[in-house]
Amino acid sequence: MYAASALAQSAQEIVAAADKVRNAEQSSRSTLVLTEYVSGQERSHSTFVLFSKEDSAGNFRNLLQYVEPPRDAGKRVLLDGRSYWFFDPASQSSVRISAQQRLVGQAAIGDVLTVNLAVDYSATLLGTESIDDAARQKRTCWHLELKAATETAVYNRVEYWVEQGTFRPVKGKFYSDSGRLLKIIYYRNYMERLGAVRPAESVIIDAVDSTLATIAVFNESRFQDVPDAWFQRDYLPRLQIR
Amino acid sequence: MRLAACWLATLALAGAAAAADENNDLDLIPKSEAPTSREEAASPTSRGNQRLFIENALTLTTPRNDLLVPSPPPLPPSWDERLFADARFEYPLAPNASITYSGRLNLVLQDDLGFPNRGNVNHDLREIYASVEPARRVYLDAGRINVKSGVAYGFNPTDYFKAFAVIDPLSADPSVLREDRLGTLMARTQRVGETGSISALYAPKVTDPSPVAEDPYRGFNPLFGRTNGTNRWLVKASQRLNEELSPEALVYHEGSHWHFGTNVTTSVGQSVVAYLEWSGGRRLGIIDEALAFGRETGTIPPLVPDVITQGGEEHFQSQVAVGASYTTENKITFNLEYQYNQAGFSRSDWDRWFALGQGRPDSSPIVRELWYIRSYAADRQEPLQRHGIFLRADWVDFLVPKLELTGFVLMDAQNGSTLMQLEADYARTDLWTFGVLAGGTTGGRRSNFGSLPRANSILFKVMRYF
Repeated sequence: MYAASALAQSAQEIVAAADKVRNAEQSSRSTLVLTEYVSGQERSHSTFVLFSKEDSAGNFRNLLQYVEPPRDAGKRVLLDGRSYWFFDPASQSSVRISAQQRLVGQAAIGDVLTVNLAVDYSATLLGTESIDDAARQKRTCWHLELKAATETAVYNRVEYWVEQGTFRPVKGKFYSDSGRLLKIIYYRNYMERLGAVRPAESVIIDAVDSTLATIAVFNESRFQDVPDAWFQRDYLPRLQIR
Repeated sequence: MRLAACWLATLALAGAAAAADENNDLDLIPKSEAPTSREEAASPTSRGNQRLFIENALTLTTPRNDLLVPSPPPLPPSWDERLFADARFEYPLAPNASITYSGRLNLVLQDDLGFPNRGNVNHDLREIYASVEPARRVYLDAGRINVKSGVAYGFNPTDYFKAFAVIDPLSADPSVLREDRLGTLMARTQRVGETGSISALYAPKVTDPSPVAEDPYRGFNPLFGRTNGTNRWLVKASQRLNEELSPEALVYHEGSHWHFGTNVTTSVGQSVVAYLEWSGGRRLGIIDEALAFGRETGTIPPLVPDVITQGGEEHFQSQVAVGASYTTENKITFNLEYQYNQAGFSRSDWDRWFALGQGRPDSSPIVRELWYIRSYAADRQEPLQRHGIFLRADWVDFLVPKLELTGFVLMDAQNGSTLMQLEADYARTDLWTFGVLAGGTTGGRRSNFGSLPRANSILFKVMRYF
């Protein structure tokens, strides 16, 4: 059945279906807790409130505010298409950052945002593989290769494993322009969230320094109307988390 | 047939081996549980937009002894010890109203200040204002507000409210100077639309402007003379043209002068952000403006003649910052910026400045006047040099995670002298940060930065967040 299903699906459709498993189509608000590990030991925690909204082209616009750690509380990041802004309430100033800069830091915000991979990448089906998921359960997956197709793509190339039948993403490997493996991400702890069964956790492994890892947990998620006006630089100082 | 079977078997083996390799990545997953159930995890609403920390900073300064033009007293303190509590709170009063406070309470000890005296404790009231949203995304704000404009990293020509707002800076880094500054008493309205925004503000004169020299005994004085010594207003608007461009235009009025400005940014590929910021208006050169301000505030006696001038006439002058930032795969962000201040010192201005002051005692009125000009420019956060090159680098996770290395060099392109700073901050935990900052100036005795009385300094700091 899976083989027949594979034939019926193009690589791009598989990635799009996996996007729908990860992301809700309606605008939403989530609370994200990121725990950073060094050599398996907890090192620090970050908490964000993340607002996401899909535009007419299928791209997600993201607006997030730091809640923890205390030194970063109140800082905000806007990611809208090719425009990324960082706002610090201490200076009341917004600084534009590059796509590469949003990946800076171990708990890189670029890895926890709501993104539709099918919009930013063109996919090729490499084959079928049986790999273990994060809970070491065997999963029969489509093994896909994604290549950056737009300027908003964060990574140059991605290897992506999507479980056949459920279209649940199991794992991704993310590469830089130079071909260097930067991150390995496992999607786990599937549960009811935002109207469907979705991964509630991502394990982000730093492939450059494999002693570093981050676990991102969606603590609270709910549908919320997010006006388009929120996704611009001048709204950043006005954002209120209530 | 046999060959095909071998080929299929080889493929199957290769696939199995690849899958086995993939499973090796599972060993890199931390075994600990993620903090989904941590009771101490802050709720988004409990912390909101609040920040509180205590910092202790000790600064040691080395003076420059071979000044061609001696600096009038007081000289920079050779050591400065500061313990302060820094807070920023934003309290919601109602669903559409809030009040914001931002300030710092300092305990200061210096080699020439003495203890105990009233200069040991002071408070910087950076912001205190109320905001209401009477209609959907229409805002009214009133109080002391830090209004920041501009997109450049080093010098912001359109940041009109930066003048005289910075007091007792611990760092020369422009990004820190934007943070440690006083807001201005004003009333402001803003409308944020679907694709753009417009705001207008009026900042009234509430007292006479303060002299440039800092008052070490300011105590709890809010220093409105620094921020509200003249009537000012500003209108600015931004409009999203496409997903890449959202330029901002500004019209600013101060006293009897109009200034116009614009700023715009664009990304270039994945790693580069380029920007341009410009402001222009009729004004005096920095020398004439400083001397006029000195007379207005009584710092320069009316009968003392201007020993140096840039012509004494107003004309349209521009300020520009153009540059780009570049982030590498190794988490280093470089920023290179060209700065232009048409009102700044030309080569001949420098020649006259040194010729007039050379060989005179530090008590000379001429020397005081010459140094007053430089203090005025520094206090206005305006480059004294006409052409400057600013290079900044920020390396996140330098050598070890949470160690951030930041450094910058500001070069006067006319004489090659530099102002430099290197800072290392280590976030030992989520609550504790330790840092060291070294700064210095280089250049010949007849150069901009090489003629400053402060040669080198080093700062040690400890921060505890709450």
